Amino acid sequence: MNPFLLSVPELEKKARAVRRHIINLNANSPAGGHTGADLSQVELLTALYFRILNCAPERVEDRDRDIYIQSKGHAVGCYYCVLAEAGYFPLAWLETYQHANSHLPGHPVKQKTPGIELNTGALGHGLPVAVGLAIAAKRDNSKRRIFLITGDGELAEGSNWEAAMAAAHYQLDNLVIINDKNGLQLAGATREILNTDPLDEKWRAFGMEVSACQGNDMHAVVAALESLTPCGKPHVLIAHTTKGAGVSFIAGKPEWHHRVPKGDEITLAMNELKDL
Amino acid sequence: MNNAEHLANVMVTAFIDAVGQGMDIIPVVADSTSTAKIAPFIEKFPDRIVNVGIAEQTLVGTAAGLALAGKIAVTCNAAPFLIARANEQVKVDVCYNNTNVKLFGLNAGASYGPLASTHHAIDDISVVRGFGNIQIFAPSSPLECRQIIDYALAHVGPVYIRLDGKALPELHDESYRFRPGAIDLLRDGNDIALVAMGSTVHEAVDAASRLADQGITTRVINVPSIRPLDREALSESLRGMDRVISVEEHNVNGGVGSIVAEVLAEYGHGAKLKRLGIADGDYAIAADRKDMRAWHGIDAAGIVQQALNMMNHA
Repeated sequence: MNPFLLSVPELEKKARAVRRHIINLNANSPAGGHTGADLSQVELLTALYFRILNCAPERVEDRDRDIYIQSKGHAVGCYYCVLAEAGYFPLAWLETYQHANSHLPGHPVKQKTPGIELNTGALGHGLPVAVGLAIAAKRDNSKRRIFLITGDGELAEGSNWEAAMAAAHYQLDNLVIINDKNGLQLAGATREILNTDPLDEKWRAFGMEVSACQGNDMHAVVAALESLTPCGKPHVLIAHTTKGAGVSFIAGKPEWHHRVPKGDEITLAMNELKDL
Repeated sequence: MNNAEHLANVMVTAFIDAVGQGMDIIPVVADSTSTAKIAPFIEKFPDRIVNVGIAEQTLVGTAAGLALAGKIAVTCNAAPFLIARANEQVKVDVCYNNTNVKLFGLNAGASYGPLASTHHAIDDISVVRGFGNIQIFAPSSPLECRQIIDYALAHVGPVYIRLDGKALPELHDESYRFRPGAIDLLRDGNDIALVAMGSTVHEAVDAASRLADQGITTRVINVPSIRPLDREALSESLRGMDRVISVEEHNVNGGVGSIVAEVLAEYGHGAKLKRLGIADGDYAIAADRKDMRAWHGIDAAGIVQQALNMMNHA
């Protein structure tokens, strides 16, 4: 069971707190950051850690706990802020993002940061590993579920589709693949760089049970995640998101893929992210 | 070739025994059940194996996931595809994540002979040596292979084991005990030292016998443990030798020849070194094993020729 089980209004409040942390974390980074990608997946990760996932800091050795894998490793800023809010490590660590030999490097490193299950950063690695975790859970008759978030640009990596075939073949209905589909990647619009649409049809053709939601709407995210039931197929949740969601001058701007807020931008963002 | 045994058969027997002893081993294959000669294992444990199809990236990633869940994941497929096709998965999912995966590189070197360079793994040791955390072994005989596998399955952490693709005769008697890091002195002599790994150790032993017929005494050193490696012991075994030849069915860069060069330099030896293997910048020719080795000068005759050259130019 999730140790928080927050209501949707509480999750929305938590998401605003996570966004404020994301602005500060990136503003304090001496080495840039991925602010847009971090903000894109706030509702997804907040809902997972504060309502959906059966995991908690004091249960990291529990073989039946759910596992979350951050396949789009560059959105690690959001991941750190959620893990800190969930109590995996002190909030003060968020000020050390990408500092020399920090607990919080620029991509997830499990040897450095409590709560991280898999070192990622190179794209297209999360799903094959998740397949192994899910097969093991099935064989151990464990109720464990494996969740991962991939980017839509990341789906150009062929390893995802190899692993998708294996996931469907082994009927891994304990596996939940969430696509953070914000339509932007490093060099611009995903549709123009390498169009991965129609994603739903692709996943279905690969043998997945597919659903979709508005990924920055907490009501929709919670409803979608709670409606997933074992059906003999892996689940794919296509979450339609906005890169940089929640901050007006960052949302939907490709240049914020690898930018961090500075000066007045910090104040402006914080004003927009005040508790209602 | 008395007592010759294919190392894949040794591997499969070791897996069967380990499961019998209660180890939760999951072999992961990429359609490579015949390459792995794993039918006897499947017969005994039909539901244990995971076959991901011809998909090496998923083979390695899935193995890492199984290991994260507490299994001992053992990958069994051809070395060239394991190390080259799934290079980043080996680097990231297995090594960087320090997962308990045992990578078995089958039919390594140029074992596939006439099937040509797509099927040759003459770069695997050099590639894996560039990765952190992982231990690396290259057995030369069935007994040594079995002991290495038993060690690897008990060790917690990533391991790469390079297996030759042909039946190999026994080099060791029953008293042999593999120790990780230890070198294996097979024959002593003072005129020249041969340092070899894997199946080419047999060529070195053969060459030493032929050189003895010509009154040249040869020290033959087998290096089954690429990492860890007792470099001090290797240095000591080469101390006082003026001429050293390394032999491997691998590119001369990054394998045992490079290790010998490093040790000779680091310990300040003045020995002259000749590295025998697939030459710098070259591929192995597509040919039967015997012809391939002769072409590249890594058979017993080639080693003898190089030894005589070195003796004559001393």
